[in-house]
Amino acid sequence: MFKLDRKLIISASVAVTMAVLTVGCMQNGAEPTGVSSVNGKVTIDGGVIYPVSNDKTGPYYVNPQVAADAPEIFNGRAPTANEIKAWDKDVMPDGTGLPEGSGSVEDGEEIYEAKCVMCHGDFGSGGGGYPSLSKGNGEELQKTLTNNRWKDPQADGPTRVFGSYWPQVSTMWWYIRDGMPHPFSKSLTNDQVYALTAYMLNINEIIVDGEEVDDEYVLDREKFLKIKMPNVNGFEPKIDGPNGLDNVRKFYANAANFGAQNLNQGAVRCMKDCQKESANTKRIQGAGISAFTPPMSTQRDLPKSDKAEKKIDPKAVYANTCSMCHSAFLSPGSAEWAGYTAKGMDKVYANGIHGTEGGMPAKGGSDLSDANFKLVVDYLVHGK
Amino acid sequence: MDNKKSNQEIDLNKRDFFRKTAALSVTAIAGTSLISSNARADDPAIMHHVPWGQKWGDPITKNLYGIPSAYEHTVTRRYTKLLASGNFRASIAVTPIHESMGIITPNGLFFSRSHGGVAHVDPNEYRLMIHGLLEKPIVLTLEQLKKYPSVTRTHFIECPANGGQEWRGPQFNSVQFAKGFMSSAEWTGVYLKTILADLGLKPEAQWMLAEGSDNSEMGRSVPIDKVLDDAMIVWGQNGEALRPEQGYPVRLLLPGWEGNLMVKWLKRLEFATEPWYAKEETSKYTALKPTGIAVQHFYANEVNSTVTSPSPEIPWTNLKDGDIVEIEGLAWSGMGTITNVDLSLDGGKNYVEAKLKGLVLPKSWTRWSYMHTYKKGETLLLTSRAIDDAGYIQPTIDQEVGVMGVESVYHRNAVETWEVTATGEINHVQIRS
Repeated sequence: MFKLDRKLIISASVAVTMAVLTVGCMQNGAEPTGVSSVNGKVTIDGGVIYPVSNDKTGPYYVNPQVAADAPEIFNGRAPTANEIKAWDKDVMPDGTGLPEGSGSVEDGEEIYEAKCVMCHGDFGSGGGGYPSLSKGNGEELQKTLTNNRWKDPQADGPTRVFGSYWPQVSTMWWYIRDGMPHPFSKSLTNDQVYALTAYMLNINEIIVDGEEVDDEYVLDREKFLKIKMPNVNGFEPKIDGPNGLDNVRKFYANAANFGAQNLNQGAVRCMKDCQKESANTKRIQGAGISAFTPPMSTQRDLPKSDKAEKKIDPKAVYANTCSMCHSAFLSPGSAEWAGYTAKGMDKVYANGIHGTEGGMPAKGGSDLSDANFKLVVDYLVHGK
Repeated sequence: MDNKKSNQEIDLNKRDFFRKTAALSVTAIAGTSLISSNARADDPAIMHHVPWGQKWGDPITKNLYGIPSAYEHTVTRRYTKLLASGNFRASIAVTPIHESMGIITPNGLFFSRSHGGVAHVDPNEYRLMIHGLLEKPIVLTLEQLKKYPSVTRTHFIECPANGGQEWRGPQFNSVQFAKGFMSSAEWTGVYLKTILADLGLKPEAQWMLAEGSDNSEMGRSVPIDKVLDDAMIVWGQNGEALRPEQGYPVRLLLPGWEGNLMVKWLKRLEFATEPWYAKEETSKYTALKPTGIAVQHFYANEVNSTVTSPSPEIPWTNLKDGDIVEIEGLAWSGMGTITNVDLSLDGGKNYVEAKLKGLVLPKSWTRWSYMHTYKKGETLLLTSRAIDDAGYIQPTIDQEVGVMGVESVYHRNAVETWEVTATGEINHVQIRS
C-alpha cells in the first residue's frame, strides 16, 4: 500500500555498486562485499554495509521473497489516539512533549532534600555512588572541558556535570520525569519535575534569559524554552536541522575526526621497526584494581556449600551495598538515626525491609534474609 | 561378613596402594624433568574406578532446563565496585572472555548492563508501538511481532566503555575486566525495514527514537540510515528467548554499534525530523576531546582485538622449554568484517601475520591464532592489531591519544599489550612514546 521509497533507492543503487564490483573479482554466488557508500551517500558510521546481492547479504542468505521488495505485512493494529498520548511523552529541545506546569527553586530544594539527597549528596555534590549533579558554576566549569590528564596525570580533569556539560535542559526534565527518583521512577508530578529542574539550574548557577535562578525563581514552560546551556555548542558532529545526517556522514568519513586510522585514508600497516626510540612500557600503578566479585579464579573445584544460610559481615554488606547512599545520609552510627529509632527498632526494621517513599529501596535492593538484613540495620544504627 | 571383604573394600585397598606408589614416585623424581615411561607413576585418575562410573547418574527428569557442571562455577560474569553505580542498578557485570570459546557467548555469561536494573517483563502484556512520521502507526503484541519473517545473525554487542578505564594507563590486570564489556550471540528477529515496508515512512523522517519500558525508560536516537540497513528487532538469543538481562522479550539490535543504542525491553519506536537528546546520548556516551569538544552520536565500535590466551587469567607458568603453544585471541569490528590480525611479540615494534580461524562474519567476533615455540625464561610483549574490510586498522596508543586525549571514556580501541615475564606470569601493560 505505502511503498518505502527510500528502500527502493538503496536497492537500485546497490545494483549499480554490485555491478561495478562484479567487473572486478565477483563471481556469481560469491559473497557480496562491504561497500562504504550507497547512491553517492557515504555510510553514516564510517564503516561498510553489505547490500543484498545474489540473495545474500555478506555471508548470509536471505529469502528473496522478503528481501527484494518487502511484502506488505501488517501484523498489528493501529494505536488509539489515547494510547499514543500515553506513551509519546518524550521531551525534545524545542519543547515538543513538554507539558505546561511550574515549580520554584524553593519547592525543588524541598523535594530534593526528601527524595534525592540520600544518593546525589548535598547540593548535588554526589559521592554516594550516584552521579554528581553540580560542582558549582556551570559556565565557569564548562571551561574545564579542555583539561586533559595525558601529559600531567596529576592535573585536574574536566568536570562533566549537568551545568558544565549537558547541551540541552530538556534532557534533564525528561529524565527526572521518567527515570527519577531511581528506585521509584515515574512518581513525580509535572510541577515537581519543574521544581527539581529549577533547583538543578539554581545549584549549577545557570542564567536564564539574563536572570539569575535564585531561591524565589519559579520555572515554567515559557521560561524553560529560553534556557541556553553553557555547553550547547560543545559537541560534534552537528546533528540538528535538515543537514544533520549529512554532517554525521561527513564527520565519520574522515578517520582523523575520531582518532581512527584507515588504510584507505593514508594510514600505514607497519610490520617492521614501527616504534619511536622513546617507546616505553607503562605498568599498572600500585596493585591496580583487582577487587572483583566473585574473586578471579580459573579453578575447577566444587563450590562451597551454601545450603546453610551464610553468616554475613554487616560491615562488608554496608560497604558493598548500603554505603552508596548511606555514606552521605544516615551513615553508620550517625546521630541522624535518633529521629528514626525514636519510633522503635521494629519500625526501622520494617521500613528497611519494605522500603520507604523517602528513597530507601526494599532491603536496600539486596536479597538478604530478614534476619541478616536486621543485622545490617543494627550495624547502620549503632555503627558497630 | 568379617572374613569376606566386599569388592568395595578391596577397591579401597587398591586405591591406597596406588596412592602410595604415586607418592613414592613423586619423591623419587623430584627435581628431574626427564622421566622414562617406566619410572613414571601411574595416574590414579586412570587406574581407579571413578565415583561417577560406579553409581547411577542423575535421572533425565532432573534439571529440565540444564545448568553447567558444578565444577564450572568460577566461569561467571564478574563485577567490581569501581564500576558500580545506583546500587548495582546502573552498573555492569562483565564476561569472562578468557574462558570464551569460539565466537558465541553462552546466554548466562553475556555481559549485563542496565540503567535502572534488569526489568522482568510479562510477555503477555508486552506491546511495541511504532509511530510518528508514518502513514500507518502500529501496535504489536509479542505474538504478532514474531509472525514477521525472521532473520538470524551473529553479532557481538560491546559497551563502548570497554577498555575505557585505561585511557591514562593500564588498571586491570585481567582480560575479563580490560576487554570483557562485550559478548557475542546469534540473534533472531526481524529486520526493522521489513516491518516498516507497509507503514508508509514519510520522507522527512530522519531519526528514530528507541525507548525501553524499564525503570530508566532508556532511550536513544537512531539515524534513518541504520534503520533501513541492518537494524533488527530481536527476540531470540542463541536459539532461545532473550535473557532478561538482554531485554526479554524484545530488544533493538544495531549490528556493530554501541551496546547502549540497542535498547532493551523495547516498547516504542518514534520517527521524527530531529534527534531527541536523550540522557545517554548527551551526559554519557559522548567522547570528550582535548579541544573541549565531545564527539556525540559515536555509533560504531571501531576495529579492535585482544589476546585472550595467554592473559593475566591464563598465564604460561606451567609451560616447559620448547612447548609449542597457541597464542589465541579475538578480533572484532563494528564497521565491517575482520580481514587481518597482526601479532607483535615485542610490544608493537615488529609484527607478523596471525591466522584467522573459524567463521569470519561481518560485525562479529573473529577468532585468530598464532603458534609459538616457548623458550623457558623468555620475556615477551604480546600486542595484537586487527584490520577490517572498511580499511580501519587499530591505532597505536600514541595515535589514538594524539587525537582523543585521555578523557574520552568511550571508544578506546588502541592496541593492547600483555607482558610475558620470565616465569610466565602475564601483566597488562601499555606501550607509549
